[in-house]
This record gives sequence, C-alpha cells and structure tokens, in this order.
Amino acid sequence: MPSLLGIYDLPGDVAAVSRRLRSRGFKDVEVYAPAAFPELDEAVEDGPSRVRIWTLVGGLTGVVTGFFITIWMSNDWPVMIGGKPFASIPPYVVIGFELAILFGGLATLLGLLAVGKLPYGSFGKNDAAYSARFSAEEFGVVVECQDRDVREVDALMRSHDAKEVTVVEA
Amino acid sequence: MSPPPAMPITETTRLPAPPDSKINRDILRVMEGTSPGYWFLVALAVIGAHVAGGVWAYQVYAGLGIGGYTHPVFWGVYIVTFVFWVGIAHAGTLISAILYLFRAKWRNAINRSAEAMTVFAVLTAAQFLGIHVGRMWKSYFILPYPNQRGLWVNFKSPLMWDTFAISTYGTISIVFFYIGLIPDIAIARDRSTGIRKLIYTALALGWQGTSIQWKSHTRSVLHLSGLATPLVLSVHSVVSWDFAMSIVPGWHATIFAPYFVAGAIFSGFAMVLTVMIPVRRIYKLEAYITDYHFENMARFLLLTSMIVGYSYGTEYFIAWYSGVEPEATAFWYRAFGPYWLSTWIMIVCNCVIPMVFWYPPARTHIPTLFIVSTFINIGMWFERYVIIITSLSREYDPAVWGVYTPTLPELIILAGSFCFFAMFFLLFLKAFPVIAIAEVKELAIHEKAHGGAH
Repeated sequence: MPSLLGIYDLPGDVAAVSRRLRSRGFKDVEVYAPAAFPELDEAVEDGPSRVRIWTLVGGLTGVVTGFFITIWMSNDWPVMIGGKPFASIPPYVVIGFELAILFGGLATLLGLLAVGKLPYGSFGKNDAAYSARFSAEEFGVVVECQDRDVREVDALMRSHDAKEVTVVEA
Repeated sequence: MSPPPAMPITETTRLPAPPDSKINRDILRVMEGTSPGYWFLVALAVIGAHVAGGVWAYQVYAGLGIGGYTHPVFWGVYIVTFVFWVGIAHAGTLISAILYLFRAKWRNAINRSAEAMTVFAVLTAAQFLGIHVGRMWKSYFILPYPNQRGLWVNFKSPLMWDTFAISTYGTISIVFFYIGLIPDIAIARDRSTGIRKLIYTALALGWQGTSIQWKSHTRSVLHLSGLATPLVLSVHSVVSWDFAMSIVPGWHATIFAPYFVAGAIFSGFAMVLTVMIPVRRIYKLEAYITDYHFENMARFLLLTSMIVGYSYGTEYFIAWYSGVEPEATAFWYRAFGPYWLSTWIMIVCNCVIPMVFWYPPARTHIPTLFIVSTFINIGMWFERYVIIITSLSREYDPAVWGVYTPTLPELIILAGSFCFFAMFFLLFLKAFPVIAIAEVKELAIHEKAHGGAH
C-alpha cells in the first residue's frame, strides 16, 4: 500500500487534516512536528497521555518506600530514647517526600519511554517519511492508503493547504 | 512494503528542498568550531580544576589539618562552598519548572543553560561533601545499606535528610535536563556527520517528533515540573535545617527555610546572568536572549534581594526582640566582631547594590547587570560564610570560643570549584544546544499562525 506525505506550515492545518483522515477511516496516520503544539495532542490518539499513571504510581511507591525504610530500619536497630517509640514520623516525612519525588520523576522518565515508544525504530534509521525538514520548521502528515484512495487523500491534503504532497518510497 | 505505484498523483509538485530553519542555524552555530579563546578558557578551567584536585590529594595525605579548622569551628569553607553551589543550582529548576507551570514564556531563552548550570552546580556541590569529610572513601557510610555491623543510618538527622534531598535533586535535574534535550538532540542529529551524528543518534532515542512522542514528552515535562517545584523548595529548606535543627545561636531559627530558598534563587539567578551575558555576546544570541529576558531576570533579582534583606532584618530584630541573650550576642558579634567585614560585604552586595534595579534603565544596561550579578555572587558566598562560621565560632560557652580563618589550600579548592563548574559549562556549550530550540520554534510558529502579534 502506498503512503502519502503532506507537508504543512501550520499546526492548525495538520490537526484538521489528520482529523479528517481519521474520520474517513484511515487508521495508519502519523504526524511529524518540529515542536509541541496542544492542537496536535489528539491528532493521532484521543485522550490524555498515559504518562500520568506512571508518575502517580512512581510517586506513591516513593512515599511508601520512604516511610517503610525509615520505620523498619528504626525498629531493626532500636535505640531507646526516653521510653519513646523507636520510629518518629515527623522527621521521616522528609524522606518520604524526597523519595516520592525521586521515584515519581524516574517513573515519569520510564513512562515517557514506554508511552512515547522510545527508543524508537532501529538505530540510525528513521521512518521512510521522516526527513530533516521536520526538525526544521515544517509539519508532515503521513497516511497509508489503498491505491484507489490516493487521489482522494491527495485532494484532501491539498484542500488543507498542503505545500506539497508526495508518495513515500519505502 | 510493496514497491510504490508509478506516481498516480496528477500534479506532484516536488518543491526544492526547503532552506533549513534560521532558528536551528543560529543556535546550532554555537556548537560549531572553536576559537583559540575558547580553548584558552577550557585550558584555564581544566588546569584550575586539576590544581584544586592536587591540593585535595595533598589534603587526603596530610589530613584536614591543612585547613583552617580550629576549635570550635569544624564546618569551614568547604561547607560554605557546598551551600553556595547548592544555591546556584536552584535557578535552573526554578526557571524550568516553576516558570513553566506559570506559563511564563520568556523562560525558554534561558531555561536550557540554567538547567545545565543546575546539573553542574549540584555536581560541584557534591564534591564538597567528600572533600569536607576528609576520608571521602568512607562517604558511603551515609547510605542506608545492609551491612555486617547490623547498623542503619539515623533518619532523624538533618544530614540524612540532606543526603536524600541532594541526591534526589541531582537525579531529577539530570532527568529534567535530558528529557528537555531529546528533541533538540534530534535536531542536531539531523544536521551533523561522523562521530557526532553517531552520538546524537544514540542520545536522541530515535526521536522524530511524532504526535505520540510530543504528547508524552509534554506530559512528562509537565509532571516533572510539578514534582520539581516542591523539590526545589524542599532542597534548600533541608539544607537550611542542617543548621536550624541545632541549638547554635544564629542558626536555631524558624525563618531559615524560606530565607535559604529565597537566597538560593537570588544567587542562582545572579549566576545565570553572570554566565549568560558573555555567552550571549560571544555567540551573538541577541535575537533569542533579548534585553526583555535580562530585564525580567533583574526584576527577579530585585524581588529576591528584598526578601533576603527582609530576612536579615528579621534575624536581627528577633535576636533583639526575643530577649534571648546568646542570640542577641551572636548577632552583635556578626556585625561588629572579627567577622564584621564578611557581614558588611554580605549586606552591601545582597541588599544595597541590587537596589539599583529600581531604576528601570539599569535593568537593561548590560555592564550594570553583569557587575551587579557578580557582586551578588560574592555577597551570597559571604552570606553562607557569615551564617556558618560566625555562629560556630561563638556558641554558649566562652571557654570554647575561637576564630576560624580560611587557609590557602581551602581557598585554592574554592577557586578550583569555579574552574570545575566552568569546565563543564564550556564543554556543554559545544555539546548541546544552549537554547531550547524546539521551545523557541513553538513560539515562532505560534506567532506565524496568529499573524505576528500575539
């Protein structure tokens, strides 16, 4: 199946064209952008990013770990001071807090890798449609379609101000 | 994939390859080529760091006695410098995380270099913990690891909190720095050759700026900012508790946490200005780091200077108003004792000189900005010197009073820390984009989409 690549200058056009393509039933749509634009967030996938779950789970694991190690270690090596309990919670809040941030941050990094599917592709080899112009200032929309749909997709891409539309050679 | 069909498109208009983005060229240019002046500075920094390393090696051989430690002052220049560098490290995360959450778009001209400074400043600060403890090969004792002695560390000690705070801060700063760099490394990857291309290809993780990649990237940066904002406030609070949790007059104050955080942001911003003014000039980045950015930084300096000044005032006021004699004596001693010069340098550099920024033209006058920010750096080092040394030198019992004077080896290691920091920063200039290119583009394309004016 051929893939068509449309080149755009503005994120609004990219969002519109990818929405149109997906509503026409094209499944394999990909968007390349030089920077982050909120209008492109739902261009290919609906709903918020699942990175948030990673951060939440990481942060909660950190809090639990922080309080667990401090309380457990105090009891494992008990030092009796004035008949008070071995563990004292207020100073351990600092450790629980710091580990929440540490684990949450590292889990966010892992979440970025897992949800963003990084590292992506094979080393040193980009997608056939990708080129250095998308790390300049242009946007690209790639869609895989049947031979019979090529004209329709071409027309649709141009109707949204595509600067150029080409067939991607795999 | 099957071979492509024979061009079924009616009118394929293959335009000539478009010119590369001007933003890319302007910012990547910083990484290209090196002048003799650059190598001179690198050589100076590397030699300086090694001289300090040599002095440190001698200190390991001869013992901490070569420092000016004298009873009762056993926290000297090393701890002062540690606190100083941790403070410097605060600007990066403040600019990256807090200003990100406040959607202050002006941050994107300076956030990358400030984040780099954060990473390098934490690295520099971390050296001083090892240097200060003397037998640095036993530093790992501070980590809670299972051992034959069946001992665990004391989590009720602020020093343990500090270990966790600083190592978390270092780790999160590196993660933040790297995540922000990934799209920019991809830009450099697409425009480099040879070994550089190989390294950037590895570091870019196959980044292509697809919708999913950007979406998870934006989310990650948002979440890291949310985590780093309380972190940056906690780190210097925890550092301040190293002092405030004790009963030493001059240290035992509830104001310490906000006072230290404000001071850290103050000194961090000053360091960003001191470093970025020459960088902007040498690499002709005036189009990206504008006077508007510097003016905003100057406003921040003015604000934090006043917070710091207010804190000084509060310390003195409470020392008098509380009626606690050791406290009042300690502060009298600070201002008029043998350390009077340090105290007055601190007050003049941190509270008096920055007041020039009330005068609007001073906020965009580059020589003024550079000179004032340098004075602030000096003043903030002396602030830590005053807090730590003067408080320790006179505690409650007059029988154990003493005066500490830094020795030459300590001062060489202090100077070496600046070389160490400068070395990393100079190498960073040539290794990674000094301005967050993708973020600058985001604004540029946004303006293009909305017809120039925002």
